[in-house]
Amino acid sequence: MTVAVADHSRAGYSAAMFEEFLAARVEPQWMTQARRQAFSVYQQLVQQELDPEEFRRLDLRTFNASRFRPAVTAPDAGGIATLLSGRTEFGGAIGHVDGYVTSSRVSPEIAAQGVLFGGLQELLQSHRELLEPYFMKRAVRSDADRFAAWHAAFWTSGTLLYVPRNVEVQLPLHSLIAHSHDGAADFSHTLIILEDGARATLLEETASAGSDIAGLHVGCVELIVGRNACLRYVQLQNWNQKTWHLAHQAGCVDANATLQWTVVGLGSRTAHIHQDINLDGRGSTAEVNGVTFASDRQKISYYTQQHHRQQGTHSDLLYREVLRDESRVIWRGMIKVDAAAQQTDGYQRSDALMLSEDARCDSIPGLEIEADDVRCTHGATTGRVDRDQILYCMSRGISRGEAMHMIVEGFFQQIYDRIPIEVVRETLSRTVQAKLGIETVAADHLPGAEEDEY
Amino acid sequence: MERLIGVDELQSGERRSVFVDDVPALVIRLADAWHVIEDVCTHDGQPLTTGELSGCSIVCPRHNARFDLQTGKALCMPATQSIRVFRVEVRDGAVWAGP
Repeated sequence: MTVAVADHSRAGYSAAMFEEFLAARVEPQWMTQARRQAFSVYQQLVQQELDPEEFRRLDLRTFNASRFRPAVTAPDAGGIATLLSGRTEFGGAIGHVDGYVTSSRVSPEIAAQGVLFGGLQELLQSHRELLEPYFMKRAVRSDADRFAAWHAAFWTSGTLLYVPRNVEVQLPLHSLIAHSHDGAADFSHTLIILEDGARATLLEETASAGSDIAGLHVGCVELIVGRNACLRYVQLQNWNQKTWHLAHQAGCVDANATLQWTVVGLGSRTAHIHQDINLDGRGSTAEVNGVTFASDRQKISYYTQQHHRQQGTHSDLLYREVLRDESRVIWRGMIKVDAAAQQTDGYQRSDALMLSEDARCDSIPGLEIEADDVRCTHGATTGRVDRDQILYCMSRGISRGEAMHMIVEGFFQQIYDRIPIEVVRETLSRTVQAKLGIETVAADHLPGAEEDEY
Repeated sequence: MERLIGVDELQSGERRSVFVDDVPALVIRLADAWHVIEDVCTHDGQPLTTGELSGCSIVCPRHNARFDLQTGKALCMPATQSIRVFRVEVRDGAVWAGP
């Protein structure tokens, strides 16, 4: 029997390409050295099989990294339609297009509080002593897996938010990651650090300049939440359906702190998100919300881990997925409780609503508990739209499309209720309508709201 | 139609992993018959690549679901849905396939 063997050259970048990438960059020696170390790890990891627990159900055989290259010149700013920009008042906004920062602003009032918000590359150089101990060392380590190492070697631009001790940023901040050229590879990084007692909200979204642009995003999100701090972070993934989205994301929550993390998966051709929630401090809390709407032949995969490391920690994860056409969603979730994490309260649940016979959803919750005084609950459901409900709506004069929208909207409502940011709820509702084919999301804006140019 | 391989590249009972319309597929030769199937088991969503050939069928290497190579039909549990089979043509000394 002859079969094809795994072709590792399709999976990643060569050493020659790495040297070419480095030659085009102007950055300090320590940063280049860190990249070289990460690339060395990456070269080893790319030869190894991916962790079957995480990747068994995700088919990456059609992935060909050589189709994508980091952009070598800064793109023209503008022309990127976003879902969130201009829909509410933001205290600051940053835009990245093809791995370059194209705009950045923060209100003088927020800057005066000592908050750092802007391009990661620039701020990491100007505030090295403050930021370097966090960058790819606490939440996502550069040797965590193949994609983390790849990102650590090639990371380009990124968003940094640093909030000093006991400072509250009242207005939400906005970050956009976008592709504008066919074949662009984007390695943007998001690093948020909240010192003890700080509070902030960051809304991040991804977008493509057009529907025919093929792109690659190998991203990383690091959320560091200090003692008694509170972070609300939303990532709205809305690439076009020719984009690969591979991301390693992690949050570290210290004692009595709260992390509210919402992940939205709407776009991409294939997406895989590795999401770690590390409850590192006593009494820390994490609420994780997931909203996914997959259509056509999209494949969206999540690997989540709620890791309880200390006593009295609380995590609550709720994912809801709607699938239509021939789409596929995979959710593999794990609650992990260390022996020291007594009186832990962990919850995870994934619910999927199937709108098509040809869609497929794999939901696999799991528990790994070493403590003996805990409450951990998990579950997963998958079901179809009840035809009787559609018939009932139609008998009351509601069209089939509107009935379907009501049912889908109702399905997502429990998640919407958990998201305290109105603009996110409204945006999700409109986008769901667009996905159902009821309405096209128009680039209209609220009167009076400030719009950022990307 | 996409050209996949030359007819002399595989002997009877051999197979090759290919892509058809950007879909992972297996081209299989059985004597003078050529079959091109989507290389994904409809039961667990994972590859059939190394599955054993049994007559004109392929057996999933994990849970032993069996699929007809000509029609794609699931022949036994745990699979209940057919796999996709591609249209095949042999011409100019090569195997061509398309949706």
